[in-house]
Amino acid sequence: MEHFWGMTEIASAHGGDIDRLIAYIHYLMLALFVFWGGFFILALIKFRGSRPGPADYAGVKGKFSTYLEVVVALIEAVLLIGFSIPLWAERVNEFPTDKANEVRLVAEQFAWNVHYPGPDGVFGKTSIDLVNNETNPIGLDRNDPAAADDITTINQLHLENNKPIIVHLSSKDVIHSFGIPHMRIKHDVIPGMSIPVWFTPVKTGAFEIACAQLCGLGHYRMKGFVTVHEPTEYQAWMDEQAALLAEEGEGDDFWD
Amino acid sequence: MKLTAFLLVFLSITSLAGEITGVVKWDGNAPKMKPLKMDADPVCSAAYSGGEMARAETLVLGEGNTMAHIFVRISKGLPDKKWPTPSEPAEMDQKGCMYSPHVVGVMVDQDFKFVNSDDTLHNVNVKATVNRGFNLGMPTSMRESMQKFSREELMIEVKCNVHPWMKSYIGVSSHPFFAVTGEDGKYTISGLDAGTYEVEVWHEKLGTQTQSVTIGQDESKSLDFSFSMPSK
Amino acid sequence: MSAADHHEAHHQQGFWRTYIFSTDHKTIGIQYGLTALVFLFFGFCLMLLMRWQLAYPGQPIPVIGGLFSDATMPGGVMLPEFYNSLGAMHGTIMVFLGVVPLAVGAFGNFVVPLQIGAPDMAFPKLNMASYWCFFAGGVVMLYSFTAPGGAANSGWTSYPPLSDIATTGQTFWLIGMVFLITSSLLGSVNFIVTIIQLRAEGLSYMRLPFFVWAQLVTAFLLLLAFPPLEAAGVLQLMDRLAGTSFFLPSGLVVTGDVLQVSGGGSPLLWQHLFWFLAHPEVYVLILPAMGIVGEIIANNTRKPLFGYKSLVYAVIFLGFMSFIVWAHHMFLTGMGTTISAFFQTTTMIISIPSVIILTVFFISLWGGRIRFNTSMLFALGFLPMFGIGGLTGLPLGLSASDIPLHDTYYVIGHFHYVVAPGTILALFAGIYYWFPKVTGRVMSELWGKVHFWGSIVCMNFIFFPMLIQGLMGVSRRLYDGGASYDFAEPVIHYNTMMSHAAFALAVFQLPFIINFFVSIKKGKKVDDNPWHATTLEWAAPSPPPHGNFDAIPKVYRGPYEYSVPGAEKDYSPQFEAEA
Repeated sequence: MEHFWGMTEIASAHGGDIDRLIAYIHYLMLALFVFWGGFFILALIKFRGSRPGPADYAGVKGKFSTYLEVVVALIEAVLLIGFSIPLWAERVNEFPTDKANEVRLVAEQFAWNVHYPGPDGVFGKTSIDLVNNETNPIGLDRNDPAAADDITTINQLHLENNKPIIVHLSSKDVIHSFGIPHMRIKHDVIPGMSIPVWFTPVKTGAFEIACAQLCGLGHYRMKGFVTVHEPTEYQAWMDEQAALLAEEGEGDDFWD
Repeated sequence: MKLTAFLLVFLSITSLAGEITGVVKWDGNAPKMKPLKMDADPVCSAAYSGGEMARAETLVLGEGNTMAHIFVRISKGLPDKKWPTPSEPAEMDQKGCMYSPHVVGVMVDQDFKFVNSDDTLHNVNVKATVNRGFNLGMPTSMRESMQKFSREELMIEVKCNVHPWMKSYIGVSSHPFFAVTGEDGKYTISGLDAGTYEVEVWHEKLGTQTQSVTIGQDESKSLDFSFSMPSK
Repeated sequence: MSAADHHEAHHQQGFWRTYIFSTDHKTIGIQYGLTALVFLFFGFCLMLLMRWQLAYPGQPIPVIGGLFSDATMPGGVMLPEFYNSLGAMHGTIMVFLGVVPLAVGAFGNFVVPLQIGAPDMAFPKLNMASYWCFFAGGVVMLYSFTAPGGAANSGWTSYPPLSDIATTGQTFWLIGMVFLITSSLLGSVNFIVTIIQLRAEGLSYMRLPFFVWAQLVTAFLLLLAFPPLEAAGVLQLMDRLAGTSFFLPSGLVVTGDVLQVSGGGSPLLWQHLFWFLAHPEVYVLILPAMGIVGEIIANNTRKPLFGYKSLVYAVIFLGFMSFIVWAHHMFLTGMGTTISAFFQTTTMIISIPSVIILTVFFISLWGGRIRFNTSMLFALGFLPMFGIGGLTGLPLGLSASDIPLHDTYYVIGHFHYVVAPGTILALFAGIYYWFPKVTGRVMSELWGKVHFWGSIVCMNFIFFPMLIQGLMGVSRRLYDGGASYDFAEPVIHYNTMMSHAAFALAVFQLPFIINFFVSIKKGKKVDDNPWHATTLEWAAPSPPPHGNFDAIPKVYRGPYEYSVPGAEKDYSPQFEAEA
């Protein structure tokens, strides 16, 4: 489906469903607003004080307003049961664990640390005692065999097109919120918890991560960059990062 | 008032010209510093062209393994008195998403100017413990900010939360007899009375070293230091 | 105070007891009203500063920018920390020091005892204590601007851990909140007892003016919802001052350093406690406003409200439901299907009584003889504006559509439509409506109309673009209004227009301010019932003396008996016996 009026282009598989729901709600809103707005203006003109005759003690007769309220309630029920609840269930229950890429996103004031598991697909251990903001912001333990090939970046989230991605969200300090408007995805990042979210990018290109939860003076530019690649380019980028990792490995740890 | 202060400083420097100079060297192989990935902020990475990358400034060596960014000061032997505060501010720039210089010395109550030469937000998180710490946002609309430190504190760590690799140090001294080495490893502390002094050198990873030296009136003495890899 | 004052008539008290430490509900109501109006104006000014920064990020504010310190606006250019302070304090002041004290403290105090035919509130001294707690809370909040690091800067929601590690201003904020909550608790107990116990003879529950019903439900909301926040405020104070970790989990690393706390707490606990208050709080803001609008619409349509009973049942039901919707503010904190389904369902259910109330007001217009005086214009303006506010709540109340809209300007637009062109218009309506009861004079109609049309037009130019920016995904609480983001580019230009509208809105408040003060002294004198209204407050002299009524009134009929067929005039007051 096309994106809803006024929203960004859609770059994720589920985005169309979200926009459809938003569109339906807005159509309902518009219908109600136009109907009652019309009624309102009509009433103000028709029953203005300068008209002849007294006010009508009884006013409107009949059950018309009750019927209207029932109709509104029914439409709301349909939106709730038919759309919102199933869509939400899909987001929080149906993780495509076996066919997805996974990445950890560790937020801090005011940056997004991205932790890729590397070719082995296993995240290395991290420890807060190893955190060093210049060289090891997430406290990755390079002595852990699983960590050897892990790649970390700051603010650079690279994804493979048409492949589901599971993002494990965690925070080092305060609450942040991971939002990618184009992907119709947003979730609070809460310290002390690791919360997974998932989506499937369906459009290559560059998108932005916007922090949506006030996190301090740098909140306004806690911006991350999402790049969606075709699989071959994605691999090339990963190889480049691995080469950089090797060069980093030559550096002396003492000076971290 | 300003003129008298200036004259006092001037006189004390010229007439009491006792001086300690020296070179700080690194005794060992030049290690390779890790490169810093700056793609977190396009403004930062744009400052480094042609595949060149900034490197951590934890250890910066010059020709012949001389050490830059060493904070040198007189740690003992000074009379108990107040020295005039220099009117010129000390300065630390944020340029190419690195602090420049990496280590700055400043006297108590001397003005300290933070500069932001980058077209991006930096925040100066001054993690002082003796002085009042502060966290100052410097958006692009704010090129300079003047601050002061009212107590001696060695050394204060300074960080930027927007660019987590950025780190620097400020040494706040209660007297004017301090210096920071350049890439040639050289320092000069002048204007000293005759006497016996302890000179301390500081490096963020290697800690401090001290040596004593006695100088006469108007005497200039040389005092070299060398750091090496600590045994584990 | 001179000795001569003491020799005046017996029941007369000195200046201090009459005007400052008064226990008379009318004086306290006026004190609440004036203080709240000052705070509303102050909070509005904070917003004007923010709007300058949003329209012209990084440019110095002309003239007044130079008045600020280097820690807030060096060279007149606002710093991000100060922007965050302004945001947090704008929200706090508007809600807790502006709208609630005006809607409950001022209108509730002044009007409720009069409308139920009581000589005063049930506990006059408690009433005075309530005002002075509120005043102390306000002083603490204002003083916090001088704290090192400025006033609180973690949003009016004060989510920890950010607020736990924030500068000293947050401590002041918490202390201020404790005072304000205490004030509300003292007030709400008083309202409940007064309304239940002190109704005049014949004033049964189903004869109560809708405004009194709204205040009664509001008082229950305050009484039952505020204590959790007071507890939470004290816990956060402990986290900040006593080293506890109620809201701090283990293993926090702030700016590269491990935070030395015991840990084991939960940041989400705060959110639950906060929203357990803050959602009912929304109805605390809106119910008195609805009450005011109901009174004015009945009076100016010259006919009874359509479906008074459904209105009363709706407002009671709304009050109950408002306690079980709070987590719809927290859909994106990691909520499973069951819990989110529960809170979405309750949220959809609570929309029904709101729809009923609004429908009643719309339908009540039908068949009337509508007088378009200033208070009626404001009350009518409330209807479509609150309508937009309510409708835009729908996509936020459904969790799936909330995903892209959560924490964006859509939310800001939504609740400002509810509170600013909604509640605040209704409060203005109330001021114009009851001004003659308070002073014995009316405010200028001409300037009132200038005030109305200017305000409602400007408000829409401020708040409607917020909905558009929110749809595009622009986050709230951004120091540069979203200029850092490419995706926001198509809607960022609205910021300038919105800010200009805000500045114009400020200009359109001047007629009100001048009209208000001039009319106190020079307004046209009117009799006790200038609007030909039916409720009991109009039986009292204007201004009502100490003790309110010359003779305690007796109630003969329902509250809105306008244009009764066969009656000789088009209103049959509650206090007049059958001819």
